[in-house]
Amino acid sequence: MENKKYMLHVSGTHCASCKILIEDILDGEDFVKNGRVNLKKEIIEVEIEGGKNIEEVITILNSKIKPNGYIISTEKIVREKESNSVLWTAIPIGLVVLVLFFLLQKSGILNLGIGGETTPVTSFIIGIIASLSSCLAIVGGLILSLSAKVSQDEGSKKAKKPIFLFHAGRLFGFAILGGVLGLIGEAIGINFLFSAILGLIASAVMILLGFNLLGIFKKNKITLPSGIFSFFRKAEHAVWAPVLIGIGTFFLPCGFTQSMQISALSSGSFMSGLMIMFFFALGTLPVLALLSFGSVSFAHSKHAPLFFKSAGIVVVGLGLFALLSGLAGVGIINPLFSL
Amino acid sequence: MTKSKLPLIIITIGLIFAIGIILVGNFKKENITKIDDQRTEQVSNIEIKDGIQYVTINAKGGYLPRISTAKAGIPTKLIVKTNNTYDCSASLVMRSIDYQKILQKTGEEVVDLGTPEVGPFQGTCGMGMYNFQVNFE
Repeated sequence: MENKKYMLHVSGTHCASCKILIEDILDGEDFVKNGRVNLKKEIIEVEIEGGKNIEEVITILNSKIKPNGYIISTEKIVREKESNSVLWTAIPIGLVVLVLFFLLQKSGILNLGIGGETTPVTSFIIGIIASLSSCLAIVGGLILSLSAKVSQDEGSKKAKKPIFLFHAGRLFGFAILGGVLGLIGEAIGINFLFSAILGLIASAVMILLGFNLLGIFKKNKITLPSGIFSFFRKAEHAVWAPVLIGIGTFFLPCGFTQSMQISALSSGSFMSGLMIMFFFALGTLPVLALLSFGSVSFAHSKHAPLFFKSAGIVVVGLGLFALLSGLAGVGIINPLFSL
Repeated sequence: MTKSKLPLIIITIGLIFAIGIILVGNFKKENITKIDDQRTEQVSNIEIKDGIQYVTINAKGGYLPRISTAKAGIPTKLIVKTNNTYDCSASLVMRSIDYQKILQKTGEEVVDLGTPEVGPFQGTCGMGMYNFQVNFE
């Protein structure tokens, strides 16, 4: 029997690694002899073993690739025009969130006086304040962009696991690193330049993910080398990646975190340093958990497209704010604003 | 279609302006510094004692006064006062003199500025969203 060639349309391909992923799946099927993906045209060219009905083939293939967010069809799916009007609703929503955030910073409500010794209770309270402070621009923005991105890529059910791992990694990392600070009494992670550079990287990631959430890059997809993308794809599934990012937030620039690190440093013992940093991280947990798990449940609702785009606006705004402040902090540019 | 978008676009532009005003914040900050300047006329943050000029800045949720004016050409010391300061303003950075330090939560940090020349002197916090300026004249 002769093989037949088909041209199928595929939707949901948003990255260079999608090509590899889909071709891998196609190669895994016995009846597919030759499968090639054209990302630009969103087309799959397949050679099917004779005797197979094309509709049947599509059903089988879709059952394999739908979990990854792709859909194969004979007809081109017309992208809904309304995405444009969703964007115009999302922009004001995102901006209102940003206005409220900056007003909160400017109001001075957060400049509460907490005196005396650093106890677990005061660490916890400072953690809560920190989680609402301008530190939220970096840490919160990063969490919001990552969890929205993961929910978009993986679907809400699978997204909960990496987010849980992130928070666990953060609590664990703060406790252990705080303990180490107390033990050795020397500065790790308090190196200004190191944390400033980390902050700049985080803001760049936020801006990129923000634009990605907005769908700005849909038309001209940023095509990083597919090796990097498949690495990210794998990292999204791996256990270590969210844990590592969680631990890494210890080193992100945040005045409160740095102050607490100094407290842990001068606390003099492993246990006291551990307690200070753990309770501080615990204090930041409610707001950060709300942000991350909140975005997962939004992503699950019917308002998902609006949520992703609004989150994109917020993330880009916070990312720009953090980037410009960070550059001023390093001394590359003059301060453009002061809260 | 386009008509229904118009109010949203107007709101968007309004919000962008709002953010700009909040961030650059001249109208509000200027008032504060003016009040502060009035205050500083009574209790100046510039003091000359034994031939040394002391410039005092309060660091908590930002730096106050944000802009102060001092004399150039005399030995000057900067005093940064913290009072239960946990926020970014505790991590003080002054690039021009290659200074960076996380200050005590409560206390006074004295930084020797040498003999400043005429011109502005700037300090920021580690993340860069708070800053202050001393103009030496």
